[in-house]
Amino acid sequence: MDQAFSAAGLRYLAPEIALLLVAALSMFVHLFFRKRGQRLAGYATLAGFALTAVILALTRTSRGEIFSGSLTVDPFSLYFKWIFLVSGALAVFLSFRFFNIEKSEPGEIYYLLPLTLIGMMASASSVDLISSYVAFELFAIPSYVLAGIFKKERRSAEAGIKYFFLGTLSSGIMLLGMALVFGLSGETRYAAIAQSLAGANSPIALTGMILFFVGLFFKAAFVPFHMWAPDVYEGAPTPLVVFLSTAPKAAVFAILIRLMVTVFGRFEVQWSLVFQVLALLTMFWGNIAALIQKNIKRLMAYSSIAHAGYIAIGLAAWGEPARAAVLFYLAVYVVMNAAAFGMILLRRKNGTFGEEVEDMRGLAGTSPLAAACLLVLLLSLTGIPPTAGFMGKYFLFAAAIEKKMYILAAAGALNSVISLFYYFRIGRAMFMEEPSPGPAASYRRPAGVETFLALAALVLLLWGILPALLADAAAASVLAK
Amino acid sequence: MTLFGIPVLTFITFFPLVGGLALLFLPRVRRGAVKLVAVVVTGLEFLATLFLLTGFDAASGDMQFVERAQWIPSFHVQYLMGIDGISLLLILLTSLLTFLAALSSWEAIRDRLKEYYLFLLLLEVGMIGVFVSLDLILFYVFWEVMLVPMYFLIGIWGGERKLYAAIKFFLYTLFGSVMMLIGILVLYSHYHTFDLTAMLQAGSLLPLALQTWVFLAFFLGFAIKVPIFPFHTWLPDAHVEAPTAGSVILAGVLLKMGAYGFIRFSLPLFPEASRKCAPWIVALALISIVYGALVSLMQKDMKKLIAYSSVSHMGFVILGLFTFSPLAVKGAVLQMINHGISTGALFLIVGIVYERRHTRLIADFGGLSSRMPVYAAVFLIMAMSSIGLPGLNGFIGEFMILMGTWTVNGVWTAIAATGIILGAGYMLWLYQRVMFGKLVDPANQSLKDLTVREFATFLPLIVLAFWIGIMPKPFLDVLDKPVENVIRIVAPGYYKKQTATKGTAPAMGEIQSVPPEERLGLSHLRNEVR
Repeated sequence: MDQAFSAAGLRYLAPEIALLLVAALSMFVHLFFRKRGQRLAGYATLAGFALTAVILALTRTSRGEIFSGSLTVDPFSLYFKWIFLVSGALAVFLSFRFFNIEKSEPGEIYYLLPLTLIGMMASASSVDLISSYVAFELFAIPSYVLAGIFKKERRSAEAGIKYFFLGTLSSGIMLLGMALVFGLSGETRYAAIAQSLAGANSPIALTGMILFFVGLFFKAAFVPFHMWAPDVYEGAPTPLVVFLSTAPKAAVFAILIRLMVTVFGRFEVQWSLVFQVLALLTMFWGNIAALIQKNIKRLMAYSSIAHAGYIAIGLAAWGEPARAAVLFYLAVYVVMNAAAFGMILLRRKNGTFGEEVEDMRGLAGTSPLAAACLLVLLLSLTGIPPTAGFMGKYFLFAAAIEKKMYILAAAGALNSVISLFYYFRIGRAMFMEEPSPGPAASYRRPAGVETFLALAALVLLLWGILPALLADAAAASVLAK
Repeated sequence: MTLFGIPVLTFITFFPLVGGLALLFLPRVRRGAVKLVAVVVTGLEFLATLFLLTGFDAASGDMQFVERAQWIPSFHVQYLMGIDGISLLLILLTSLLTFLAALSSWEAIRDRLKEYYLFLLLLEVGMIGVFVSLDLILFYVFWEVMLVPMYFLIGIWGGERKLYAAIKFFLYTLFGSVMMLIGILVLYSHYHTFDLTAMLQAGSLLPLALQTWVFLAFFLGFAIKVPIFPFHTWLPDAHVEAPTAGSVILAGVLLKMGAYGFIRFSLPLFPEASRKCAPWIVALALISIVYGALVSLMQKDMKKLIAYSSVSHMGFVILGLFTFSPLAVKGAVLQMINHGISTGALFLIVGIVYERRHTRLIADFGGLSSRMPVYAAVFLIMAMSSIGLPGLNGFIGEFMILMGTWTVNGVWTAIAATGIILGAGYMLWLYQRVMFGKLVDPANQSLKDLTVREFATFLPLIVLAFWIGIMPKPFLDVLDKPVENVIRIVAPGYYKKQTATKGTAPAMGEIQSVPPEERLGLSHLRNEVR
């Protein structure tokens, strides 16, 4: 116990500590530079993220425990920390553009984001009920604020409130589950709980697991726990949706996977069944509901729900190929979703960003590069080669088939076809329809957004053509027992 | 074999992509240059595919020009390419038709030229890729890649209902392909490789029930593409709305991919399931033949008529494939080529008058032969080729299919033969209504005959139609071994029976004593081309 807080152990916490310093610095910059404080705070945060990336790159090979074994640093958690960091950096980058044009920049986001990241990173590392819950709340609470931070927009406030209520409800349910598990085992460490549960075949443990999971399912927006997602994503400021729709979900998957593997390994049959049902519900409902959306943010919200469903296929078919497939798909999902919401920053009408599918009309004529990049993105979202989305789905379906879950794989494939219909409504608008007369038009060339989309498209193509680049990293980061 | 230091199959697959990227750097306003680059690239691509002939060994049943590299090592996915006689003919057809399609678009396409030719070239990458891939995932990637440019060709440059037709085409074919993907993955879970040649070497590992399911998954993918009744409903829409070049490629090449999939994958990978399902598929093929022909008879739109005639003609191909008689299977492959030539040409023919009159309704024409004599001659040759007049290509293919089918089942042959009669009916009637009679409509008075460029697009097709019709041997020779390889797997009894009853050439006996991998055409696994 005396070594718990040793300097050697703290070295594993370097990324989190760096982010804490970044948050503090950003906050002071924001407060003390009256004139351009917001923007400077943003630059400070971005620079801090770059520094954190360097630290993460250096801690790549280490593996160890901190705080008497309540946090662990392993390749699995590092993989997720990269995802969180990239997602956060994208949000900061797009925020510059967005709030600059909207002419009201809430500087708070630039220190709330690093705080959120600390919580996510800690939750990916947590192997203890208490640290897990604390970490979970640490990223959940600032994210409610982020959703509601755009005061100009009434929908944003509504989104913040909705997110908050559903979020606390889910935390409550999760806490109840934790209480049951703790009550039964008398332990908080995951490994110890697993040992103590090993013999007991108790329905209470199973109930505990289900409640614990349900709390997480809310955050992952699995159907039927998804109702908040479209409203929140529609209302929250777009660059922050890029973050809110990706990183918290990834964090939840990190917690889920660790729980599945370490604590509830003996309930594999049960949770596999749960995930099968969830995958079917989530894919079908997400995709079918997306069919009737006209607002791109809502459409992509349902699409991101559906993508969580595809990932659930991998959780249901947990095993040798599925472990890496889920990690692969999560990384691809983050890039795809970031670009999917980022596309909204391309067009402007009547003093707001063009959020409707119609607003994309004629994009191929006005900015062919952006249209080409979005085409790659749409192909990837649908799962058509040669894009990363296809490779991700291929790995997931292959994993399901390896476990003889043929129906699940076929349902996933069928859902790709359904999703084609709504994704290519955007493709159709971009390439085949004339711009509607009047409002929606590209505002002065959104170079930053185009660069962002081009990068995303490039990454999606690269991972689609040379999937080993990502697949090897994913395979090296799997969480085995 | 290499071309400019690049392995030849890789070269012919990706050369159009390089050409397409070159197009991107041309300024949008240089319309002439854009067209020229596209035509030159597709022309060079055709020459490059002709170059394959110099190294191709028709006497060998093996996969040739094999290229193998690791692609996704952790999932055993390889970059594996190779061709045999069947793929060779289809590659040549593809590169020729793409070249002609580019040429025929010279005047027809007037807006967004760069994008148009880019999509055409990307389409060619996908099509060639499908015919050269021997790894199932690689094959699947090309198979799907092809959908996207076709979707845009229909959706951007198509007719009135282009948006509907484009998404319908995309949805239908994507549905078929994802089901095939699931099938491919089930195969992988048993073979632990995506290498087609290795799978064939291992023999069929799947229990019959599962094999049937996987066969059906592949069947959906291929049958929608062919299309076989009742999966054909996307086809008339796509064909009618697509621009001329799109229809040419759709009918000429894309439909062949389904049939190619059957002979390359379904029959050899699932021999038991193929035999089990054959009667059902033959029934669907027969329905396609008769139904397609009947529906063609009553079309008012020329393009739609030819579209439905494709359903009928492709029915013949499927019938030929699923009789498992070498003669019919060879005929079916040849008929794939023939259909590409004749239907491709017929769509070009419709395109010619559509470009001039902007209508495709049969009723708007009549008596054109007096104004356009060369056009009338070309139309006649191609109509006859489509009907199957002896001396032209269509006859050889259909005759071989019917002959082969006769040895298996007389009733099937009789039903299929009615398709030929109906085919003569709708085609001659079409010709009569468009070409003969009085030239009533004043708008038709001033119609110009074929220009030199237009005639040049038809010339290779006319030459091929006569060539295959009069001297089909060189074409059939390259098919001999590959077809034999397939028949030996799917109908192993066939050659044994023949040797026993007829005591044919000793060569047959010799083949029987060769080790199995030799017989399956897999000896290249030992001495690959590097």
